[in-house]
Amino acid sequence: MDDAGLFSGGPNPILLVVVPLGFAFALPLIGFVSKKILKYIPVGVFMFNLVVALRLLPLVLKQPILVEIGGFSPPFCINLVAGPVGILFSALIALAGLLVAVYTLVYIKEGPEEKYHILYLLLLTAATGVVLTGDIFNLFVFFEILCISSYTLVAYVGNRAGIESSVKYLIQGAVGSSLLLIGIGLLYGLFGTLNMADLARQIVSVGSSSAFIPMAFMITGLGIEAAIFPLNSWLPDAHSSAPSSVSAILSGIAIEVGLYAVVRILFTLFGLSSFFLFFVFLGVLTLLIGEMCAFSQNNIKRMLAYSSIGQIGLILFAFAIATAYAVTGGLFQMISHTLGKGLLFLAAGYMIVRSGSMEISSLKGMGKRMPLTALAFTIGAFSLVGLPPFIGFPSKFLIIRSALAEEALIFNILIGLILLGTVIEGAYFFRVVQVIYFQKENEHQKRHEAPVAALIPMFLFMIAIVAIGIYPKLVTGILDSAASELLDRVDYIRSVIQ
Amino acid sequence: MSLELLLIIAFGGAIVTYLLGKISCRIREGFAVLISLSLVVMIACLYGENGTESIYFHFLGLPLIMRTNMLSWFFAMAVSALGALSVIFSLNYMKNRERTDFYYLMLLMVNASMLGIIFSGDLISFFIFWEMMSWSTFLLISYNRGPAVAAGLKYIIMSIIGSMAMLVGVLSLYATYETLNMATLAELIGSASSGYLLFLLIIFSIAFAIKNALMPLHTWLPAAYAEAPTPFNGVLSGMLTRMGMYGFLLIMYVIVGATRALNLGSGLFKFHYILAWLGAITIVIPTFIAILQDDAKKLLAWSAVGQGGYMIVGIAVGTNLGLSGGIFHTLNHAIYIVLLFMCVGAIQYRTGGERDLNSLGGFIKKMPFTFIGTLLGISGLVGIPLTNGFVSKWLIYKTLILEGYPFLAFAALIGTWGCILYCYKFIHHIFLGQLPGKYQNVQKAPFSMLLPMIILSFAILFFGILPGIPLKIIDTIGTSFGFKSMNVTIWGIASETGTLNTINIFAAVLIVSIIAWLMLKIGPKAVSVAQEDTYAAGAAIPKDKYHYTVDFYNPLYRMITPYLKDFIDAFYMKFAHWIQSLCNGTRRVYTGYVGNYVMYIVLFLALLIFIRLKWSL
Amino acid sequence: MVFSQVIHFLQNHIYYIGAFGLIFIGLLIILVKHNLIKVIIGLSILETGVNLFLIAVGYISNGTAPIFSNPSVETQRMVDPVPQALVLTAIVIGVAVLALALSLAIRLYQHYGILDLRQIREQKW
Repeated sequence: MDDAGLFSGGPNPILLVVVPLGFAFALPLIGFVSKKILKYIPVGVFMFNLVVALRLLPLVLKQPILVEIGGFSPPFCINLVAGPVGILFSALIALAGLLVAVYTLVYIKEGPEEKYHILYLLLLTAATGVVLTGDIFNLFVFFEILCISSYTLVAYVGNRAGIESSVKYLIQGAVGSSLLLIGIGLLYGLFGTLNMADLARQIVSVGSSSAFIPMAFMITGLGIEAAIFPLNSWLPDAHSSAPSSVSAILSGIAIEVGLYAVVRILFTLFGLSSFFLFFVFLGVLTLLIGEMCAFSQNNIKRMLAYSSIGQIGLILFAFAIATAYAVTGGLFQMISHTLGKGLLFLAAGYMIVRSGSMEISSLKGMGKRMPLTALAFTIGAFSLVGLPPFIGFPSKFLIIRSALAEEALIFNILIGLILLGTVIEGAYFFRVVQVIYFQKENEHQKRHEAPVAALIPMFLFMIAIVAIGIYPKLVTGILDSAASELLDRVDYIRSVIQ
Repeated sequence: MSLELLLIIAFGGAIVTYLLGKISCRIREGFAVLISLSLVVMIACLYGENGTESIYFHFLGLPLIMRTNMLSWFFAMAVSALGALSVIFSLNYMKNRERTDFYYLMLLMVNASMLGIIFSGDLISFFIFWEMMSWSTFLLISYNRGPAVAAGLKYIIMSIIGSMAMLVGVLSLYATYETLNMATLAELIGSASSGYLLFLLIIFSIAFAIKNALMPLHTWLPAAYAEAPTPFNGVLSGMLTRMGMYGFLLIMYVIVGATRALNLGSGLFKFHYILAWLGAITIVIPTFIAILQDDAKKLLAWSAVGQGGYMIVGIAVGTNLGLSGGIFHTLNHAIYIVLLFMCVGAIQYRTGGERDLNSLGGFIKKMPFTFIGTLLGISGLVGIPLTNGFVSKWLIYKTLILEGYPFLAFAALIGTWGCILYCYKFIHHIFLGQLPGKYQNVQKAPFSMLLPMIILSFAILFFGILPGIPLKIIDTIGTSFGFKSMNVTIWGIASETGTLNTINIFAAVLIVSIIAWLMLKIGPKAVSVAQEDTYAAGAAIPKDKYHYTVDFYNPLYRMITPYLKDFIDAFYMKFAHWIQSLCNGTRRVYTGYVGNYVMYIVLFLALLIFIRLKWSL
Repeated sequence: MVFSQVIHFLQNHIYYIGAFGLIFIGLLIILVKHNLIKVIIGLSILETGVNLFLIAVGYISNGTAPIFSNPSVETQRMVDPVPQALVLTAIVIGVAVLALALSLAIRLYQHYGILDLRQIREQKW
């Protein structure tokens, strides 16, 4: 560990990774003492992480914090770069992790619970690691931990659907990580370093076009986790077959971390701005395909999964515009998607438990049977469609605004397509809301609300969605500096390599 | 009195009403009425406040502004008054229904967001409140379940399309001028090119035409009106739909400005001219579709589409007279359509939800007040002198003739003919003819339903006899848009081109009715015969055969039916199905075979490299 | 002498050719084979190819182990130790993925009774 002098006053960012990782491996030992407290450990860990991340937030806004591991200075060591982006994502991961962990207290009752909690901790540790690391191979390692724990969690229930999806996810994921590793190997062969800032510096000096092939490999490899079309075939299967708490994390955190990695590679490492237009198209294509597939689903979780693809498309579109406004909008949309989709999966999870089926038509009368859960679902749906006063509105607003500022005809057409996607999105979400509230239920069923421990996280998600939706200033400050960190390569390099 | 407080009361009141409902229904209802009435009083107190702007919030770095002027006061007054009447009407109608808390919450929410729209001084808060209005309306339309679900979905999809168009417009203004304050925009936009203005007007018109149900974007309205809870129909038809009118006024005359807005395009293809023609089409076709309807609420719904056309024609022509006609017609139409929907509501309340015209009849004796209300309502709708509808229609006709639009005037006239036909059908089928046996014990409507009906009936006569009061306000609105002031007197308009003086009409009507009364008095007394007192071939005709109201206007039906299919709706539905099958086809990309998926990955990698080689980016 | 040039090229690049050959074979197996076990074998071969590639990046022909304890060894002759560290990590990860894949294959076989991926297609569209 590094001495505390560099970041006096704040906690060490490495705690964000070390604490959950340590507890993940300590869990079996703790299990010997008492099986009962196991499920409370993730709650405690992510509460700790959230506090650490929130305390770091004002510090990193002034200056990114570097953590050098092993006592060497970059580029000769593995380092963590806790800039605004990293801490923003860590806070988001900790928040979602905490809320979903509370939900899990009552939601996961069967199966090898102990392993579930270990994997859950590992998944989020890896996600935090990916966003904090400043070393490309370290990123790969965290990425692999993320993927392996996701494969396993998807198969957690152990039914036909879960195992099948997990196998397919694994095959695609393994191909992806091989491609990523090839890319890393090529980069190392070309530049002889693995530090992201150092790589970026060298790529700046030789020009980004010479490093195109490694970039292509890396983007393809990471793009699989980021669910960019056509690399996202695993997503609808995996997200719909996993337990709902896992789906919430996979949808809300895992794919966004994947997209973060793609964006980090594109912006900071290569800065290949001439290729951004391609990603703009790709984003719109991903959005349209996602929304169109979601439109014709009868399975609620599959619908939500496809909707995640659509949202990822929108975020990619925003990032690829690569102006300060657009990147802010993209980051905002990420937060909005994490909160909204997390809420939707949590709410849908208990509705599925109560109705015993994932068919949308089986959700009839849920407005009466579980009014609070239904309300949560409705708010999540409205937010994702982008209706005020929920968080989806300001984020979509920023993205469309930044796209319009481009003033090219092609962007106007793309905006039209995105808005068409929004209309489709509205159509399928409103349809489900109608089924929940307004379809005649088959028989009169008694009110049977989700347990309190499941309602609390939903409630907190709702509060966050409405609060940020009404008062976006809560996050825009940090988003602005995060956007400038992503866009400003030179500053990133300078801040890492003094 | 600050506007912020007004909005806080409006929105907070809605939420508090919901929470109170968890305690007791009576408290909730009392509170709902209190809130809506206090809004009326507060807005009335705002009269005459002009041009005060206040920033109440910052949203993404944009100041959100509230402002008052005559235009917003006029609309706000109408919204709050009609909203309050609808709440009062709901008290009995919604009793013993499920989820009444939710109903009141959404009803008050819709009202509050309409007030928000009206008082918005910048386009972003306009858009936010517009969206809130849309989704709360969606929830209320779907409230009745069954076919209401499809109606609600249709409404919200069209509404989203509209608001997405509006979002593009708003954001493009923001991107160009870096501000969304309406007053500032109005100044800055003077330098914009005509092409840009045309783009703006068209893109905003899509949103407002959908809301105002202008042909060919009207298709959500009939189903939504027919399926919404009847007390909400008042709000929906009276003001919510007319937010589209408000939007048209805002974009055409406040932001773009009358001089520019009326000179866009060339020759026959001027923007406002085309808008007027769309309005004319909207008058004619829906009016005749209304004649075909056998469902009371559908009939009124189509009628509302048609009447919306008059308003658009009025404001699109772009003279002070036409503008006044259009705005005044908005108010008048709101009054009588709310009244008519309330009458239908009262009938539904007493008959257990019956709204099929063919199975009603003879309610005149059972529900006399409702009958009088309906009579006044249809008088206003047709535009019989001394009712408010007459004045506004007179203004619109006058404008069309003065400005030399004979075809538009003819269309408006045809609309009125059709209007007479369906109005007669409406009142006849419900109140005249034979009372079906099962309704022998129908009671009068309860007081909480009668009260708003009586108030509205008075309003029809009041504005019909003294049109000067609202016209004075409307004239102020017109002058604020830069039009010449009209010579408004309390009895109407005095101008060199044609005077409207309701006192003369009043005198004439009075004299004629005295003569008629005298003639009836002098002439022999009519013998009162029971309706069943007729015989065919010496046998009494069974009672149920008397109901001769089915197939009214049959010859006319046969002539016009083939032309009056809602082919636009059919086209949209076909398009929706096409989209659906396209979506269904798209998802087959995900074949389920993992070999294909890996192939996609490899192909993507190849594509990246190919693009690089091809264009050497 | 074309032939000697080819030989020279091969001598310098034999590891790369081998590595990409393995990667290619691995991908091909994953693409064309329907049997899950074969696909997993393909993944393993792909993994091996990538590892070989990483080693090749840091390899110097006739190099020595990168250990500083023996002062007689000149540092220029040392192979780059970083890729070797990477490969060690990658091998560990690869083993984990392989183990997971095989255990999932067992469970899948319990559910379906087959391993033909063309027929295991309940999750689609």
